[in-house]
Amino acid sequence: MILYRKVPFLTFVLSPLIIVTFYLVSLLFLLSEPINAEMELSKNPQRIISLGPSITKAIYLLGIQDKLIANTVYCINPPPAKEKEKIGTATDVNIEKIFNLKPDLVLATSLTNPKTKEKLKNLGIRVVTFPVPKNFNDLCKQFLELGKLVGKEKEAEKIINNVEKRVTYIKKKVENLYKPKVLLQIGADPLFVATGSYFLNDYIELAGGINIAKESKEGIYSREQVLSANPDVIIITTMGILGEEEKKTWEKYKTLNAVKKNKIYIIDSDKISSPTPVSFVDTLEEIVNLLHSKEK
Amino acid sequence: MKRKSIYWIYWILALCGLLLATSLFSLCTGSVGIPLKKILEVIFTGKGTTEYSIIFNVRLPRIILGFAIGGALALSGVILQGMFRNPLVEPYTLGISGGAALGVCLNIIFRLYQTFTVSTLPLFGFLGALLVILLVYFLSIKKGILKITELLLTGVMISFISSSLIMLIMAVSRAEDLHGIIFWIMGSLEEPNLILIKLALLISTIGLIISYLFWKDLNAFLLGEEEALHLGINTERTKRLLFILSSFLTGCSVSVAGIIGFVGLVVPHFIRMFVGTDHRILLISAFLSGASFLIFCDTLARIIISPLELPVGVVTGILGGSIFIYVLSKKQIILGGK
Repeated sequence: MILYRKVPFLTFVLSPLIIVTFYLVSLLFLLSEPINAEMELSKNPQRIISLGPSITKAIYLLGIQDKLIANTVYCINPPPAKEKEKIGTATDVNIEKIFNLKPDLVLATSLTNPKTKEKLKNLGIRVVTFPVPKNFNDLCKQFLELGKLVGKEKEAEKIINNVEKRVTYIKKKVENLYKPKVLLQIGADPLFVATGSYFLNDYIELAGGINIAKESKEGIYSREQVLSANPDVIIITTMGILGEEEKKTWEKYKTLNAVKKNKIYIIDSDKISSPTPVSFVDTLEEIVNLLHSKEK
Repeated sequence: MKRKSIYWIYWILALCGLLLATSLFSLCTGSVGIPLKKILEVIFTGKGTTEYSIIFNVRLPRIILGFAIGGALALSGVILQGMFRNPLVEPYTLGISGGAALGVCLNIIFRLYQTFTVSTLPLFGFLGALLVILLVYFLSIKKGILKITELLLTGVMISFISSSLIMLIMAVSRAEDLHGIIFWIMGSLEEPNLILIKLALLISTIGLIISYLFWKDLNAFLLGEEEALHLGINTERTKRLLFILSSFLTGCSVSVAGIIGFVGLVVPHFIRMFVGTDHRILLISAFLSGASFLIFCDTLARIIISPLELPVGVVTGILGGSIFIYVLSKKQIILGGK
C-alpha cells in the first residue's frame, strides 16, 4: 500500500506550509493600517464627485458645476454632465478611480453599495449620503443640506423659496377641482407602482389626485387591485421602450375609467424619478395638466 | 518514492510561483496604471503618495482576501469531493451559502446594518451559515451514524428552501434594500474592514493546517467508506470532523465575500487532473491554485469594463468553466474514485 508507506513528513507537510506562511507573513507585513486622515470639514469643497443623477442635477442647479470633477454614467442631464469624468454607475463605482481623482467630497445615494462608502471613508474621503426623499418637503430639505455642504446656502434657499411659491400656487389652483384617482406606474413585470412612502406620491397628491396605491406597503401591485380600484388616470414612466407596451396592455381593460376617458400617459423616467426641487415642480405642473385636462 | 517527492516539490514551487505572479499582476493592474518597474519604487520610497495608498489600501486588501477566500473554497471543495466521492459536490451544495445569504437578507431588510455597522452583515451571514450547518448535521445523524447520502440530500434541500426564502424576501422588500441584497449575493472581494480580512486569512490557513491531519483518512476514503473502515480509519469521527471543517471554511468565506461560485467546484477537479488524487499534494495544490485563480479572476473583473466592475462570480464562472471543459476534452479525467 502506497498510502501508508513512511513518508518524509518534513518534505510533504511542512515545506508547503512554510512557503505559505512565508507568503502570508510578507503580505501581513505589507498590509498597512487604513489612512485615518483627519477629515477636514472644509466649508467650501473644491473637488466634488456625485454618485447619483439627481445630485448631479442639483449641483448644476446651484451653479457649482466647475467643482464637480466626476459623476456616474447615468448622469446625462443636463447634457454637459455627460462630458464629466465617469467613475461607474449609481450602484457600482470604481474606488480606485475615485481615490485617484482626490475628491474632498463624495455625494452618495442610498443606491451606493454600503461597503463602497465604508471603504472610501477608510481612505480618508468625506462621504455624505442622500437617501431617496420621502416626500417633497424632504426633497427640499436635502437640497438645502447640499447647498450648505458646498457653501451655496443662500442660492439654495432662494431656489427653494421660489419653488415653494409655485407649489402653493398649484395647490390653490387644484383645491376645488374634482380629485381623480391616479395610478403612477414605475415598473412592469412585476407591476411596480408609486406608494405613499416615497416622494413620487407627492406628484399625485400635490396635483390634486388620489393615489390608489398610497396604502400599499411594497411597490409590487396586482392588476386585479388596479381593476377594482378603477383609476381615472394612469401615468406610466418610460422604462426604456416598455412604456408603450404597457399602455397597450392597459387599453385591453375596457372597464377602466382611464381607458374610457383615454387618460393613459407616458412620462420620461429620468425626469420623474431623479428630480431636483425645480424639476419636481416642472413635472408637477405637467401632471396637473394631465390630471385635469378635459376628456378627449 | 523519491522521484515522486521531487515531482511534488516541483509542483508546489510552480504553484507558489503562479500565486506570486498573479499577485504581482493584480497589484499593478487597475484603472490607475502603475507599471511593474514603478511598483518597487513606490513600495519602498513612495509612502504618502497616491500610488502608495492605491497599492496598499485598495489593491492589496483585495489580493489578500482573494487568497484567503479562494484557498478556503478550493480546499473545502477538495475535502467534500473526497469525502462524498462525488464529483458534483462543492462547498455550496450543502446549503451553507443559502443559509448565509438568508442571514444577510434578514439583516438588510430589517436595516440592522444601518442602525449598527456594515460589519454586522458578515456576522449575520456567519450565523445563518452556522445554523444551516447544525441543521444539516443533526438531521443527517441517524442512531449516531452520519449518513453521507442523507447529508448530501438534506443539504441540497435546505439549499433550495433557503433560495426560495431569499426570493420571497426579495419580492416583498423595498427597492433600495433589493440592491443591497443583490450586491451581496453577487459576491465581491471588496471589504472595508481590515480585521475581517485578517480573520479570513487566519481561518483559511488554520483550515489548511488542520486538513493535513486528515490526509491519510481522505486517501483511504478514496477506496470507499467500508474499505476505509477496514484500513483502520475511524470513519465516523473523520466524517464529522471533515464536514465541520469544510462547512466552517465555507461559512466564513461566504459571510465575508458573498457567494463566489465555481472556485470550489472547478479548481479541485482541475488540479486533480495534474497532480493526481493523493491528498498529500492535492490539499496544498488546490489551496494555492484556488487562491491564484480567484486573485486572477478578480483582477480581470476589475479591468474588463473599467470604470465599472464585473461581479467576480461572472469571471470565475465563464473562465473556470470554459478552461475546464477544454482541459477535460484533452485529458482523461480522474474523478473522486480510482
